[in-house]
Amino acid sequence: MDERDTQKGKYVTFKSGCEYFGLKIQYVNEIIVFQEITKIPESEDYIKGLINLRGKIIPVIDVRLRFKQEPFEYTDRTCIIVVNVKNIVVGLIVEQIAEVVEIQEENIIPSPSVGKADKSQNKYVYAIGKVGDQVKLLLDPDRLLNDEEITALDPNSGNAEDEGDE
Amino acid sequence: MADGFNTEDMLDMYLFENQQLLEKLQETVLEQKDEECFDEDAINEIFRTMHTIKGSSGIMMFDDITAVSHKLEDIFYVLRESHPDNVPHLQLVEHVLEVSDFITSELEKIENGEAADGDSSEIIARLDKFLKQIKGEKDTEEKKEAKKDTSAQKFYIAPVASNSSKYFRIKITYNEGVNLVNVHAYKAVYALKEIAEDLIYSPEDIISDESSAEQILENGFDILLQTQAKEADIREIIKEGYDVKRVDVLECTEAEYKRGFDDEEETPIIMIDLDSSVEEIEAKAERTQEQIMEEAKSKALVPGDFVIQSKEPGKAKKLAKDKPKKSEKATFINVDVAKMDQLMDLIGELVISQSVVLQNPDLKVPGLSLDNFNKSAAQMVKISTDLQNVIMSMRMVPLTNTFQKMNRIVFDVSRKLGKDTEFVTVGETTEVDKNIVEHISDPLMHLVRNSVDHGIEMPEDRAAAGKTERARVTLSAKTESGKVWITVEDNGKGLDRQQILNKARNQGLLDYSKPESAYTDKEVYQFITLPGFSTKEKVTEYSGRGVGMDVVLSNIASIGGSLEIESEKGKGSKMILKIPLTLAIIDGIVMRVGDTSFVIETGVVKEFVSVTEDMMIHDPDHREFVMIRGECYPVLRVGDRYHLTGYQTEVEKGMMVIMEVDGQHVCLFVDSLVGKQEIVVKPIPTYVKKVKGLSGCTQLGDGSIALILDGAGLVD
Repeated sequence: MDERDTQKGKYVTFKSGCEYFGLKIQYVNEIIVFQEITKIPESEDYIKGLINLRGKIIPVIDVRLRFKQEPFEYTDRTCIIVVNVKNIVVGLIVEQIAEVVEIQEENIIPSPSVGKADKSQNKYVYAIGKVGDQVKLLLDPDRLLNDEEITALDPNSGNAEDEGDE
Repeated sequence: MADGFNTEDMLDMYLFENQQLLEKLQETVLEQKDEECFDEDAINEIFRTMHTIKGSSGIMMFDDITAVSHKLEDIFYVLRESHPDNVPHLQLVEHVLEVSDFITSELEKIENGEAADGDSSEIIARLDKFLKQIKGEKDTEEKKEAKKDTSAQKFYIAPVASNSSKYFRIKITYNEGVNLVNVHAYKAVYALKEIAEDLIYSPEDIISDESSAEQILENGFDILLQTQAKEADIREIIKEGYDVKRVDVLECTEAEYKRGFDDEEETPIIMIDLDSSVEEIEAKAERTQEQIMEEAKSKALVPGDFVIQSKEPGKAKKLAKDKPKKSEKATFINVDVAKMDQLMDLIGELVISQSVVLQNPDLKVPGLSLDNFNKSAAQMVKISTDLQNVIMSMRMVPLTNTFQKMNRIVFDVSRKLGKDTEFVTVGETTEVDKNIVEHISDPLMHLVRNSVDHGIEMPEDRAAAGKTERARVTLSAKTESGKVWITVEDNGKGLDRQQILNKARNQGLLDYSKPESAYTDKEVYQFITLPGFSTKEKVTEYSGRGVGMDVVLSNIASIGGSLEIESEKGKGSKMILKIPLTLAIIDGIVMRVGDTSFVIETGVVKEFVSVTEDMMIHDPDHREFVMIRGECYPVLRVGDRYHLTGYQTEVEKGMMVIMEVDGQHVCLFVDSLVGKQEIVVKPIPTYVKKVKGLSGCTQLGDGSIALILDGAGLVD
C-alpha cells in the first residue's frame, strides 16, 4: 500500500520530438542508458531489436517511430525506459529523460477527441497533464505497446521451441 | 513475539525443511518397500525424521502434524528398541506413507496460507492399532488368539536342520541392577540369530512383556540354540560384561534340544510359562524319563513354534550388516529458483562489465604498458568463463527424483488394484534441464499409472497367460542424439490393435477410403492419444476416462518432445518420450552475418566449407547452388534472407555452413564463424512477432545477443 501511495500521481516524463510525454511511474521498472541493440529481422520497424538487460533479453521499441514520426539519431543522451505492462517487459527508446513529476488529478484532463496532435499520436495519449505552464501528454503504455499488435502477442509464440528442434 | 522476529521466515524455513525431510523419508521408504523389513539405518532415519518434524511442528504449533508424527515416532521407537519380528512390513510402509502424505498435504495448506485443518485422529487411531499389534498389547480377551496369530506370523519358516548342527543350552545370568534386562536379553537373541539355525528362548515374551525383565534378573535367561558354530563363537557373541554376570554354554543332544524348555504351564504349547526357570527345569530333570517324555509330548515346545528363524542355515536374517547397496545418490541442496535466476543474471552482468573493463577506451592510450594488466585480465576471463559454465550446469538436474515419485505411484496403484508390480528404473541419473523436469513429471506420472492400471493384468490372469505373476514396469532414461529418451515399459497385456480400431471406427476417426489393414501399428496406437479416447471398458479411480493421453501428448509437445508407442499384444507396451535435452542450453556454432550474430545447433551442422565463385551455380529463378565434391547444395544467404545490412556478398570471403535437417541439405552462407559454444537458449520475447527460422535468442559471452537459427524453419 505504501508503495502505491508514494507512487500515486507521479509520472516519468521524457521528451520526444518537441513534446513532453508522461508515463505513470508504476509502469516503469527502470531507466537505463542506451545500449547496443540486436536487430530482429522481419519485424516492425519501430521494434528496434533486443537488448540484454542483465541476462534478461527484452525487446526495445523506438517511441518516435512508434508515433510514426521521423527517426532520430541515438546519442549518449538517448535513454531506454524499461516498462512492465501486464508482465510484458519492453524498453522504450526515448530521446531524453526529463524528470519525475507529480501531477494532481485535477490537473489531468482527458485528451481532446479532436486535438491538435496528429491522429496517430492520439491513440496513445489518454490524457493531458498540466504541470505549471507545461503540458505533458500522458501515455497509455498498454496501447503504446499493444495496439494493433494483438496478433503479435499470441501466447504460444513465447515458446521458442515450438517448431524448433525437429 | 519479540519485535522484528520474523515468523514468516521461520515458517518458510519450517516448510522447506520438513518438505525436504518428507521427500527423503519417502525415498527411503520406497527404496525398501520390497524388502522384508526396514534395515536399521532406515528405521533410525524415519525415527529421526519424525522426531524432527514433531519438534518443529510443535514449535510452530501445528498440533495435528505433531500428533501424527509423534505416533509414528512411537512406532519406530518400538521398532528400533525392541526389533519385534511380527511387523507386517507392507502395512508399515503404508502407514509411513500415509503419515507422510498427511503431513505433506498439511504443509501445502500452510504454504498456501490456509489453516492446517486436516484431521489426524483417524490416522492416529490406525497407527495406535498398529502399534499395539506390533507391541503385542492386545486386549486381554483377545490375548490368546492374538498371540496365536502373531506367532503364526512370526515363525512361518520351518526350522532347518542339518546333520552337522550342534545344540547348545545357554543360560545367561544378568547382573542385578541392570535396567531393561529384557532388552539386553533380546540383544543376545538378536546377536545369536546371526549364527542360529534354530533358536528358542525363555522367557519368550521379552519384548512386549516388561515384567519379563524381572524374571530374567531373577532366574536368568535361557536359550536353546541349534547352530553350526562352536561354543567359543557363542561365548564371543555373548560376552560377559557390565550387564552379563555369567554365561553358561552347555552342549546338548538333539533330543534334549527338541524337548525345549520344560515347564509347568497349564496352557498347552503356545503359551510359554514366564516363570519357568532353570531350577525348575533341573528339578524336572530329576523326574523319571517317562514322565519327562510324556510331559514333553504335551507341553514342550515344538521347535518352530517359538523360534526365531533365519532363512537359510548360517545366513543371518536381513540386518544392518548386509543391507542392500545404496543407490548412488548425489547430495543436493535446494536453492530458490529466483536466486538461481538472479545468479545467472548477475553473471551475465559480470560478463558485460568485464568486457567493458577489458575494452575500455582508456586502455587504448598509446604508450601504455599493459603486460601485467593483460595477464590478470586473461585470468579473470578464465574464471568468469568457468563460473558461467558452472551456472549453466547447475540448471541440469538428474531425473532421480522424478523417477522416485513414479515408484510411489506404482506402489500405490498396484496395491490398490491388487496387482503385483515390480518397478525398475534404469538410467535415472540422466541429466535434464530443470524446466524439462518440471514439465515431464505429470505426463510421466500418467504413463506410469496407465501402465499399471491398463497394461498390467491381474496376477491370476498373468498366471493363466503363462507369465510371471509379478509384473514389471520399467522406467528408463537415456540420452540419444541430443534428446532424452524416457521409456515407460510394461510386460502387461499390450495394446489391442483391433479394439483400438473398433473404437476409432465408432468415433468416426477412421478414414473410410483406407482399409483398416492399411493403418500401421504406429498410426493405430496414436489414436489413444486423442482426446476422449479410452478403450478401457471400466472407468477406474486411476484411469480410463480417456482424458490423459491427449494431455500427456500436449504437455510433451509443449516442450518440443514427442511420444512414440510400441506394443505387442500379450507381451506389453512401451511408451517412448523423446524430449529435448534442454530448453535452455544447446551446443551451438556462433556465426556472424553483418553485425548480427547467429547461432545454429551443432547437431545439424555437417561441415564448413570455403568455396570459390566458380563452384557457384545460378539458375534463372535466381536460386543459387554450390557444387562441393560433386554434390549440389542449395545456398541460403542468411544476410539476404533476413535483409540485413553490411554483410559479406563475395563467396570467397565468407563461409559456407552445410547443414542437414530431416535428410535435406542446405548450405548457409555467412560472413564468418566465431566459434562453438554452449549457449543458453532464451525465447524471443513474445512482444516480437515470431520470425520464421529463428527459434530463440541467446546471450553470448560478451553480453551481446545472438539469434538462434532453427534448421527446420530455414529449410521449408
